[in-house]
Amino acid sequence: MDELKNKKILIVDDEKELLQMTETALRNEGFFNIYTAENCREALEIIKNQSIALILLDVMLPDGDGFSLFQQIRKISQTPAIFLTAKGEAEDKIHGLGLGADDYIVKPFLMKELTLRITAVLRRAYQIRQQETEFYLGEKHISFETASVTSQGKEKSFTAKEFILLKKLYENKNRIVTNDALCMTAWGDVYYGYENTLMVHIRRLREKIEENPSAPNYLTTVKGLGYKLVIKDE
Amino acid sequence: MNKTALKIFTCFTAISAIVATILLIINFLGFAFIGSDVSTNIHGNSPQGMLYRVSEALIQTDNGFELTNENTIPSDCWCILIDEGGDIIWSKNKPTDIPEHYSINDIAKMTRWFLNDYPVYVHTEDYGLLVLGIPKNAVGKYDMAYSMEWFNTLPQRLISILILNLCLAAVLACVFGINLYRRLQVLLNGINNLRQEKDVRLKEKGIFREISRSINNTAIAIERKNLALSQRDNARSNWISGISHDIRTPLSLIMGYSEALSESGELSEKNKNKAETITAQSIKIKKLIEDLNLISSLEYDMQPSKKSNVRLCPLIRQIVTDIMNSGLSDNFETELNLQDEKAFVSADESLLERAIFNLINNSITHNKGGCKISISEYTENGIVHLNISDNGKGVPDKVIESITEIPKSPHGLGLPMAYRIIYVHGGKMTVKNRNGFFVNIELPLE
Repeated sequence: MDELKNKKILIVDDEKELLQMTETALRNEGFFNIYTAENCREALEIIKNQSIALILLDVMLPDGDGFSLFQQIRKISQTPAIFLTAKGEAEDKIHGLGLGADDYIVKPFLMKELTLRITAVLRRAYQIRQQETEFYLGEKHISFETASVTSQGKEKSFTAKEFILLKKLYENKNRIVTNDALCMTAWGDVYYGYENTLMVHIRRLREKIEENPSAPNYLTTVKGLGYKLVIKDE
Repeated sequence: MNKTALKIFTCFTAISAIVATILLIINFLGFAFIGSDVSTNIHGNSPQGMLYRVSEALIQTDNGFELTNENTIPSDCWCILIDEGGDIIWSKNKPTDIPEHYSINDIAKMTRWFLNDYPVYVHTEDYGLLVLGIPKNAVGKYDMAYSMEWFNTLPQRLISILILNLCLAAVLACVFGINLYRRLQVLLNGINNLRQEKDVRLKEKGIFREISRSINNTAIAIERKNLALSQRDNARSNWISGISHDIRTPLSLIMGYSEALSESGELSEKNKNKAETITAQSIKIKKLIEDLNLISSLEYDMQPSKKSNVRLCPLIRQIVTDIMNSGLSDNFETELNLQDEKAFVSADESLLERAIFNLINNSITHNKGGCKISISEYTENGIVHLNISDNGKGVPDKVIESITEIPKSPHGLGLPMAYRIIYVHGGKMTVKNRNGFFVNIELPLE
């Protein structure tokens, strides 16, 4: 975790006060490699000379807008970026994310939220390999690497669709995942027309991961909405 | 639209045909009346009458014949009496060009036609033929004879002429009517487009030139007004988004520093609480700013600009799931009954989501102790119905009454906002207390 804290973070904002406040807040959270820039020119200068790990980018800058600065940056590096902007309209948000930004935060924001999102983006960008690759459901051991479940020494493989569904549910563990989201992930289509297909796949998944498939403990149905993978923290 | 023009056209044709027929009947009767007046007047008397009076006044005396009343024959008329042998036995005012003797042929000719171009009228007496002559060119005579068949079939023929006339009138009226119909159609289309605020430019010609011009002028006036309105709305919404933008940065500082203060160990517990209040209130302002644009556009019934075809069922599931995933207390129970998975509506998805969220959220915030929330969806006659109900306390009547009004304060914005959103999507929303809170939304299917 501490590895994330020494990542170099660049904050670009024309508002000096805000720049200072954000920097202080990030330092208090343990980040210490922090650079600041008040305009596009300074920002590009820093990016060229430092190996920046994450950029916080304001959309409105005195010598250009953040969107085009972001596109310029993308030409020279793949540094993750979070837009930090006073433009709150949905179109701006969609535009920003559409350009390939990693997140989009509308001012005003709580520092807690900002640091959480920064951590999330950094973790996604630099710690992919340390992602969890296995978990337990009771006695059963599930491995993402072999796409299989092992119970009492016996290993059963998941089919491709079962595996996709299980992964989606695991990524959202203890949260309801709608039928629509599951169908979109597994078949790239809307739920309508896949009602039975989804049900069949869920049943097969239960047969592999549940002790009693007809009274599921882990892969529970939320009637009318979707499914939830319940994993209690030890 | 078509119906109106067709109605006008039908009425026009029928009235034209009826008017033509009535005119024809009147003309018929008129001609018959004029034609039947065959009286020919000489000094206020008919020749027949005059002849009758002459016959009355003529008496036989020893010296031949004489008139008891000399005035029975005016000076420009003449009278002769012809005996069996064809000789004149008495005369009065006889012109010199009238012969003294007549053969049977002469008599036959004269009784029908003229005697030396004098129109003559004859009357048989015991002692001969009385002939009254009136001035030349005073009267025309025509010999008319009709077969009995002509008389017998006269009614049929009159009726067929009337029917023929009716048909002809109808055909003519049709021809003119179609023309009129076309022109009316153009006008009606124009007026219709006017109502839908489409571009209207009618050709200003023909009998409806003035009307076309009026419609065009009205269209121009409406266009101008709409432009002014949209300019004003744009200015307003730009102003509002400008303000909300300008507030965001200073508010970031307030929030950031108050947050930092409340977390720092340097403050007393009391002051920490104050800092927390500043943070909490700032978050409220933030939410207000976020809604500012939406509320102002809804208040002016601005049409949603980013419409797309939205599948209703997945949207409902997503909203309910989001609410449940955000940590909804176990005291709440949700029940979904979505019947038509195929239901699409044309809508701004984020607005529609907001409306449905507000309604479900309303049930949650009004029943802190928990309740059962039922959501059902079905389609009927091209309308999709969405019912959201709970078995909780319901809402105060005042809230239901003022649902159409956007409140001045942000408190209680949820229901009016939902109402406006449904309204600008061409839908209907009814709210009532029925064993709890009940909302019915009707939206036109796409």
